This record gives sequence, C-alpha cells and structure tokens, in this order.
Amino acid sequence: MKTIRFELNGEPVTAQVEPHHNVVELLQTMGLRGARESCGQGLCGCCTVLVDGLAVSGCLYFAAQLDGARVDTIERTEREGELDVVQQAFAECGAFQCGFCTPGFVLMTRQLLAHNPAPSEDEIRHYLSGNLCRCATYPEIIRAVQLAARIRKAGA
Amino acid sequence: MNDPRAKEPRNHGPQVGRSVPRKETHAKLTGTAAYVHHLVLPGMLHGKVARSRVAHARIRGIDTRAASALEGVYRVLTAADVGKLIPDPHYGPAFHDQPILAIDKVRFAGEPVALVLAYDPHVAQAAAALIEVDYEPLPAVYDEVEAMTSKAVVHEVLKPAGTFPDLKHLAGKRDTNIALDYHLERGDPAKAFAQAAHVFEHTFKTQQVLHLPLEPFVSLADPADERLTIHTASQSPSFVRIEIARLLGWPENRVRVQVPFLGGGFGAKLYIKLEALVAAAALIVRRPVKIALTMEEQFYTITKHAATLRIKSGVDSAGRIVARECEVWWNGGAYADIGPRVTQKSGFTAPGPYDIDNVSIASYALYTNLPPAGALRGFGIPQLVWAYESQADMIARAIGMDPLEFRRKNILREGRPQATGTPMRDAAIGQVLERLAQRMQWQAPFDRGSGTVRRGRGMAIGFKASISPTTSVAIVNVSADGSCHLLCSTVDMGQASDTAMAQIAAEVLGMPAERIAVVHPDTDVTPYDMATLGSRSTYHMGHAVKRAAEDARDKLLALAGELGVPPETTPIPDLFKKKYGMQAGNVIGMGSFVPAYAPTDHATGQSSNVTPYWMIGATGVEIEVDTETGVVTVTRMINVADAGKAINPAVVDTQLSGAAIMQLGFTLTEQMHFSEGQVTNPSLADYKIPGMLDLPAVIENEAVEANEQAGPFGAKGVGESGTFGVSPAIANAIEDAVGVRLTSLPITAEAVYRALRKAAGRPLDDE
Amino acid sequence: MRPFELLEPSSLREALGLLDTADETVRPAGGGTALMLMMKAGVLEPSRLISLRRIEPAWAEISQSADAVEIGALATLSAIEHSGIVRSELPVIARTLRTLANVRVRNVATLGGNLAHADPHMDLPPVLIALGASVIIASRGAERELPVAELISGYYETTLASGELIVRVRVPKQFARFSAYRKITTRSADDWPALGVAVALDREGPVLREARIAVSAAFDRPLRLAAAEAVLRGASIDDEAVLIHAGDAAADEARPIADERGSAAYKRELIRVHVRRALRDALDAQGGTP
Ligand SMILES: Cc1cc2nc3c(=O)[nH]c(=O)nc-3n(C[C@H](O)[C@H](O)[C@H](O)COP(=O)(O)OP(=O)(O)OC[C@H]3O[C@@H](n4cnc5c(N)ncnc54)[C@H](O)[C@@H]3O)c2cc1C
Ligand code: FES
Ligand code: FES
Repeated sequence: MKTIRFELNGEPVTAQVEPHHNVVELLQTMGLRGARESCGQGLCGCCTVLVDGLAVSGCLYFAAQLDGARVDTIERTEREGELDVVQQAFAECGAFQCGFCTPGFVLMTRQLLAHNPAPSEDEIRHYLSGNLCRCATYPEIIRAVQLAARIRKAGA
Repeated sequence: MNDPRAKEPRNHGPQVGRSVPRKETHAKLTGTAAYVHHLVLPGMLHGKVARSRVAHARIRGIDTRAASALEGVYRVLTAADVGKLIPDPHYGPAFHDQPILAIDKVRFAGEPVALVLAYDPHVAQAAAALIEVDYEPLPAVYDEVEAMTSKAVVHEVLKPAGTFPDLKHLAGKRDTNIALDYHLERGDPAKAFAQAAHVFEHTFKTQQVLHLPLEPFVSLADPADERLTIHTASQSPSFVRIEIARLLGWPENRVRVQVPFLGGGFGAKLYIKLEALVAAAALIVRRPVKIALTMEEQFYTITKHAATLRIKSGVDSAGRIVARECEVWWNGGAYADIGPRVTQKSGFTAPGPYDIDNVSIASYALYTNLPPAGALRGFGIPQLVWAYESQADMIARAIGMDPLEFRRKNILREGRPQATGTPMRDAAIGQVLERLAQRMQWQAPFDRGSGTVRRGRGMAIGFKASISPTTSVAIVNVSADGSCHLLCSTVDMGQASDTAMAQIAAEVLGMPAERIAVVHPDTDVTPYDMATLGSRSTYHMGHAVKRAAEDARDKLLALAGELGVPPETTPIPDLFKKKYGMQAGNVIGMGSFVPAYAPTDHATGQSSNVTPYWMIGATGVEIEVDTETGVVTVTRMINVADAGKAINPAVVDTQLSGAAIMQLGFTLTEQMHFSEGQVTNPSLADYKIPGMLDLPAVIENEAVEANEQAGPFGAKGVGESGTFGVSPAIANAIEDAVGVRLTSLPITAEAVYRALRKAAGRPLDDE
Repeated sequence: MRPFELLEPSSLREALGLLDTADETVRPAGGGTALMLMMKAGVLEPSRLISLRRIEPAWAEISQSADAVEIGALATLSAIEHSGIVRSELPVIARTLRTLANVRVRNVATLGGNLAHADPHMDLPPVLIALGASVIIASRGAERELPVAELISGYYETTLASGELIVRVRVPKQFARFSAYRKITTRSADDWPALGVAVALDREGPVLREARIAVSAAFDRPLRLAAAEAVLRGASIDDEAVLIHAGDAAADEARPIADERGSAAYKRELIRVHVRRALRDALDAQGGTP
C-alpha cells in the first residue's frame, strides 16, 4: 500500500493504492463509473481518463503513478449538471447505443477538438481509431464530432 | 431509466414516429449510467473461474490444494460442492445439458471447472491459475459435418428441457451429436429438379465468431433475507428467475432478478450465462458473490454458429426457381444453448425470400467440442442469406440474367405462401428490393476501375420470421400528478427500447414520452417477458405496453365518468384530487400479448401461421479490389429494411447501420481461430472487430414506407435486419469486380488474392 | 496481476544503480504499456519495476545538431509525433506514428520501451533501421552506441545486457535521402502490422546511390533485404522496371513466417508488392510534406 495525492476533477484527493492496481480500479473504488475496463489492453478506450491533460488508457496505467498528477474524468463538468458542447452534439446526433464506450469517445473528442478545431473526416477517423464501439455507432459519432466542431466555431 | 432533466416538448403531437431523444441520454453521456459492471455490495466476494485447457476429456481429479492455500483465498468450489446444493445442476433453454461446473467430463477448452472466491479479485485470479486438473483425453470433434457421423460423442445422454412449447418434440438421439434435426418438405422437389432447365448446387461455409459486447458478462448474487437477488447483465431476466428457481427447487418469488443497463448484448446475454454459477456460489458461502468475466473469457462463453450450407436449385428456362433443396449443419459447440431453436426457426427460411413451389430442407443442430454457440443478431439468418444470396448471383450470372432481374422474377409477393405454407403478409420484399436498386442506380453505368484497382457492386436481400409463440406482459402505473411509470422486463441494451416503449404508452395516453418513466427489469416488480431477443420487443412488448396503456386510459375515462367530469378535458391530477380529496392513489393498467401461432408439422414443416410478422433487410455495396493484394475496400454501403412504421426513425437508422457494420466485421475480419479446440486469439488484440478506419466511406440507411397492420402502431422489429444482406452483397460485388467467387467467410484479403491467382491459372502454393 | 514493488527513482544514475542487479525479475519501465500487457497476461511477473518516468526531463528531450536528431529514450511517442524537429527533419517518423497504436498509447509509451520490447510487430524499428539510426545505451558507469539493426536480436530479444538502459536514439539527418514506411494490416485497420516495409533512398541526380530496405512483422525480428537493395544500387530513378525487380528480389530473399494474419506464401506476395510500392512512395515523397 502506498498513499498517493493527486487532483481529481479539480479536487485534491488522497488514496491508498497497491502497486498492481490500475487507474480504473482506483477510480471505481472512489465511486466514479465513467472509466470502465473492457478490453484491458489499450484498444477500446472505455477506460479513457486524462492525466495532466493527456488522454491515457486507465487499464494500462498504474494507479500509483497518478501521484502528483492532475486527473480528469468524464465526471468533470464545467457547470454542474450541464452537458458540454461535445456531449450536446452526441445527444443531438444520437451518437451512442449501449453507452459503454461513450465516455471514452466524448473525452477523446474533446482532446481532438482542443488540438484540431476543424478536423477533416479522415482526421476524425484516425484520431478515434483507438476507440471501439461494438454497437457500431460510428457514423453517428463522426457526425457528432463534426457538429461539435461547428458549434464550437460558432461560439468562438 | 429516465432523464429527469429532459424537457417536455410544449406542444406534443404524435409520440410515435417522432425521433424522441433517448431517455438515458444524460446518464450515458456523463458516465453516470449504472451497469452491473459497477455494482459493489458490502462483504462481497469476487469469483474467478478456472477453465479447462483441453477440448474433450474425462476428469480424473481436481487438485485445489495450492489454490486454497494461497493467502486471501476464501473458498474454492468444484462440481462436488455445487452438487450438495443443487442435486441436478444442469441448465439450458433447449436442453438441460450444461453443468454449472464441469462434472466428471469437460466438453470444450474454456469450460468452467472450478471457481475461486476471494475478497481481492487479483488473489482469486492468481489462485485459479494454481488449480490442477488431471484429464484423461477423449477423441474430440470440431467440424459440424463430421459431427454428423463422428465416433466422438459429446453428450452420452441428451436431456431436452421442454421449456418452449414449439420445442416440445425435442428428444435428441442417443449416441449421436445431433441435438435437433428439422425437416421441411413442400411440393415434389425430385420431380421439379428432373424437369428443371438448369440445376445448381453449391456449398457455403461460415466461421465461428462472437458477440463481444464491450461490457463482458457480469453477474452478482446476494443471498440476504433467505432469498436470492441476482443482479445480472442479462437480456432475459424472466428466464433467469424461472431457471434459477427450478435449479434450487424454490418458488419463483424467492428469486429476484434485477437488470440495469447492459453494455451491449447482441444475443450473448440470454438465458443462463453466469447466473447459475454465481447463485450457487453465493448460497454456498452465504455472502454476495460477483463474477465479472474478462474480455478473454467471453470467447469461452457463447459464440455464433459456424455453419455449412449446401443449397441446390432448379431453375426453368425463364429464370424462375422451381425447386430448392437446402441442407444446413449448425456447429452448436459443446452445449445446445438456444442452437436447436436457431436450427428450426431459421431453418425454415433457408430457401430465401423466393417463391418456390418445391422445397426440401434439412437443418441439423450439432454438438461439437467447441465453445457453445447461441443467438447472435440474426439468429442464424445471416448464415442462410450468405448461402442463398450468394447462389442467387451465381445462378443469375450462369443463365445470363441481371441479378436484380433474377430476384424480381423470383421474390415472394404479398399473399404468396412461404416454404412453410404460411402466406406472406405485410412483407415489403419487393419494395425493399426496388428502393435498394434505385439508391444504387442499378441501371446506370458504373465505373469499373482500371489497372490494379477494380470496382464492383453487389446486392443481397434476406428475411426473417419472428420468434413465436412468446409472451410479454406490461404494466402502466399512473400517479396522482399525472406522471406515469411503465413497468416491463424488456432490457435496454442500447437499442433504445426504454424510449420506444415510452413513446407507445405516451401515444395511447396522449402525453409526451418524456413524462413516462420506464422501470428497468426487476422480477419483483416488472412482469414477465420472454426475453429481449430476435427483434421481438417492439412488436411483442410494444403490443403489451399499448394494451396496458389502453387499460390505464380506459380506467381513467371510467373514473371521469364515475366522478361526473368531462373525460377528455379534465386533467389527470384533477381526477385523482377529486376522487381521493388530495394528491393520492394510482391507476394501474395491465396488458399482455401472445401472438397467434400454428405449430409446424413434424414431418413436413408446414404451418398456416408460423410467424406474426416478417423482417426484411437488404444491403447493396460498392467495392474496390486491389488485384495485387486481394484487399477489398467497401466504398459505399446501403442498407434498406422493412421495419413497418418506425416508432423512432433516428433509432431505426442507427439500428440498421449498427447491425450492418457488425456484419461487416463478420464478413471481412472476424474469426475465432482454434488449435485442438483451444481458441488461439481470445482478445480484442487478436480478434479484430471493425473500428472507425474500417467503415465504408459512405453508409446510407433507409426504412421503406411500410406498415405492419398487426403491429403496434404499424411497427415491427428492426434490430437484426441490417445484418442480413451484407456478406453476400460483398461476395457478389467481388465477383462483379474481378470475376472470382468466394464461398467461405471471412473474406480475407488473402482468400481473395488466392482466388485471383487460381483464376489466373497460377495458384498460390503453400510453403 | 501479482503484487510487485514499484520504484520511481528521480535520476538516471539512481535508476541505473537500482537496475544493477543479477535479479532477472527487476525490470525497467518506460510508459509501462507493454509491461502491463505482459503482466496482465501472466507472461511476466516482475518482483520490482523501476519506473523511469521521474528521471531528469532531459532524457525525454528531442534536439538536433548539424547532422543528427537526438531523441531521448523517455520521449513519448506522441511527443515525437508532434515534434517540430521530427516533422521537418524526419517526416517519415511522424507519418509512421500516426498509425502506430492509438493516441492514448502514444501519449504514454516511450521510444525506449518501443525499441527494448523487441516485439517483431513494432513499427518504429524498421523505420529507424532504414534511416540508419543508433541507440545510446547506458549502464552503471558506461555508455555505448549501437545501430538499431544490432539492438534487436530475435523474437522479443535484444542485445541489451541486464542493467543497461536505452537512453537516447540518434537518427542521422536525411538531407537528400527519401524514405517511406508502409504498415500493412490484414485484419482491421487498427491491428498490429502483418508486414512493415521501410525504405530509404539516397540519390545523386537521377541515380540511386544507395537503398536501405527494412522489413518487419512477418519475421521474428526486423531485417534488411540485401538482395533487393543491391538491385537498386546505381539504378535510374525513372526506371519503373527496377522497382518491380527490387520487389521480386525482396520476395525471393525473404522468409516470412505464417500466422493468423496470413500464410507465408501470401506474405511473400505482400512483400513483393509493398516493397515496390514503398519505393514508389519514397520517390513520390521527395520534397513532400509529412
Ligand atoms: C493497444 C496497443 C496497440 C499497439 N499497437 C502498436 C502498433 O501498431 N505498432 C507498434 O509499433 N506498437 C504498437 N503497440 C506497442 C507500443 O508501441 C508499445 O506498448 C510501447 O512502445 C512500449 O513502450 P512503453 O514505454 O510503454 O514500454 P514499457 O512497457 O515501459 O517497456 C517495454 C519493455 O522495454 C523495457 N524498457 C522500457 N524502457 C526501456 C529503456 N529505456 N531501456 C531499456 N529497456 C526499456 C521494459 O523493461 C520492457 O521490457 C501497441 C500497444 C498497445 C497497448
Ligand atoms: S479497457 Fe482500456 S482501452 Fe480497453
Ligand atoms: S455504444 Fe455500445 S459499445 Fe459503443
């Protein structure tokens, strides 16, 4: 057991972790549901979290290494209870089905648009190629990313 | 589940036919939606399964000492422990053939042999690896055709379950691997073949694939209060309750099954998967037990049938199919699961959506020493369509007829009898075909590519009967403020059934769908439903919900009459206030539905009413083939279906492309590989499902303007229709592009390349 | 996963000290992605991991001199992908990274881990071999430099001694050399490659002075194809037939291994086609942008 301190969704937190526990296991013991382990191999993105502003697979990241980091998950909302632009676009386009992959896609889309505010369809597909959706909601997700980009542009 | 934030539209008009936002939108987009995956109970143990490493063997002994001795292990269970609690611990929907933990024998590599319980799942996992089993190997059989005559027999004794009225005749044969054989005879095929101008005979194969929902199987059983509560990611909570109660010898009301959201199902999470094991474990140790499988373990749980399909067709000089003979061998794996039902229910559609007077069908469910196969999005239909729609193009090509024209000439028209003798009703086969042809601009010139990139296009159309006879029950509970609960056991696994059911109830009650909260399956509360499968919910549960809502509405109207207020204009809250003097009380409406059904005759397979409705799906593709590598790129995919009247058009669209993309994976990339019955690629790293970069550049979907007269508001199911045509459309397009015919799935680039080399007279020799 | 000890030394020196042990179950960790996969699968059960993440940031820097680009072994793959120096001097590396694993893995995985892992399906080793790159290897009190071609010695095997760490990768600037990499997947697009083909061509006017062709994934380790390279030496860049000959020579000399991604015979044909296409790509990419 090791005690780590990090910032979780803007709040300082302390946690006891075992070295062999990964980030998803830790977050779930802290009551967060958004990051889930599915493939466990870095392929599907269901476990996506942001560490120091960068998306990582929580299933391949040792919890102990969060010590001192800034961690953001899908649970972080800018304004309590409100959907952000990306989530609104996903809602508008019906870009989810079972929802298991959805937090990962939303977080990755936010990252994409932060780096590339007007991605081409090819850029969207490449950026999101590491996120799998077995329900195959891909066409709707692509439309949602494009819509989110348009809303952001209009708002900027 | 319901979004309390969802704003009701100010002027709500009709609720059916409106693309109502899904009820679970907020929960799913913010990651707060609850899945069994997340559930934790105080004092809960984690179970990890030790699995067989051989495909077929007698168990001489199981050594659990090292595992039990590992620090942190609470208990190790084997069949011996389970047997003390449940004298006959076998389960299954068609046969009671599957043991909770292997008894004396293992029948596939990956079969559960022991269960380790520990508070720390890592400890349980490590201990499971320490369990040693002494096996006496037995000869094994893997191929479905070989299984017909193999000396290796998977089950010495067959135990039909008798669960389903239409499978009552099931009594598998002793000392064979045939779990079920289904036969259909119509007309005089022998004579018709003799007189046919052309006779074609081909054999097609499909590979074993699997569902792989991103939320792997997970169940949690809690034995508190002298009863058992099972939280499970299941598509069939009512079945789970009945089957667990049967195993325990308990009344149904001592078992409670609760199902929140499912992270995907596709037919995997049906009947009993982990529920019997988790229930037995929890009752033995008198503590909550959770078993959450890994992605890898899904490969040992349930799969889709590999099949061999032989199809022989007689065609007259005008291009009409006059006779068809189909023989289908379904590789059911080691346990029957729902395979016999696939064999029968799909078997009778084997001749395709064609009007053929002389038909003979034999369909066999076979046991082999592979992981069990069950229902996967289409219930056997995609395998059958693969065969008959591939052959349709082969025939058209051989007799020099345009493939569209050939289909036009032969499809079943409204009112004509299908192979079972059941007349086609509200089956828009012709309309679907024509819309597809129009969208593809079939008659227009087509760019065929040049050099090493050749282009082609292909189409295919399939159909499916619904599951019958099955029961659905629903309850609508109107509260004193006019808000409303809908109680039904349909499981929302992503297909938006919560929203669709709310729309149906709302339409009847004249309120916005947003005002109706849908209660997730909880067998203590929500009434019986056969299962969420086979695209049956919209129709079956839709009817039950509609009736329940009508019942509630009639009671509200009667209440208004009793109170002497104008029934149409009095707001619902005023009714309650007037009746009870305050905001109090409920009005409860109940509805149930069982469609009419006429059982098929055992000898001939004939029935006057084999299904309440037909689902029609067609797909057209445009592709490019790299002739130097065999790589096939689908550049455009068009999916057209008859879904009756769409309750929620946006959802119908998503269902169509979702199903078609899934089938694209089954067509091009997905395949379980085996070595001596052991899966060699049990992970998403080695079993490749489609991702963003694998999609066709253009995907179009269309639900034709149709109406299912017998359906709730004209609707019927659509969850599977998108799968039907994909595989043969691609094979047909490949032949169109480069003149080679592929008859086995998956169509890998290597398979195409080899076919090209063979056609060029330079077959690729193996090294 | 079995419990183990995780140490996070704050300097390279300290890390090398911790790794100076005969205990084979002590392993260095870069991003930990490959390690974690092996540990989850139960094929690796280390007693102690020495994470390099907190050693001096200098070991993650990317810099250039007049004739080489130097990349710290702790640089993440995405830092390399987006580095201005890499994009302008070694665009083929930036292009390769775009389809290597995925954004999340690239954000964490390190160059050192990618090379030391020696999984034959890695995309970077053939590219670095074609570009003539070398690794700088440190151990307690010593440093040596080794061509990448000599680092990977077999299936998940390197010539690193225990206690040694890759600390930097030196890639010569390419100047008039043109290069390309083709990642060939035979299942879904996001798969590991069934075949990787990297080529680098030196030309003098219309004549190819030298060609390096490195192939990977279809073999137990990345390999140079000498016969195909010989075909190209001294050939004219306008001679399309010579590219075909090079592809044929490559197919003749390669000994691909069959697996679930394809038979050996098929992979041989892929080598024939994709060596030729990679050469074409390299010639077309002349002066092109990444
Ligand atoms: C989902 C997924 C998809 C992938 N797809 C691809 C792909 O398509 N193509 C591809 O090329 N790769 C792919 N990879 C592999 C990925 O590139 C590797 O996981 C990564 O490069 C390893 O880097 P790491 O820093 O995480 O290594 P680690 O896991 O930290 O280490 C890997 C090995 O190297 C050793 N090591 C680490 N650093 C050093 C060092 N500095 N000196 C000496 N030894 C060291 C470790 O002890 C270990 O043995 C994929 C990985 C994942 C998870
Ligand atoms: S669970 Fe981490 S990427 Fe799939
Ligand atoms: S919505 Fe089900 S996996 Fe993506």
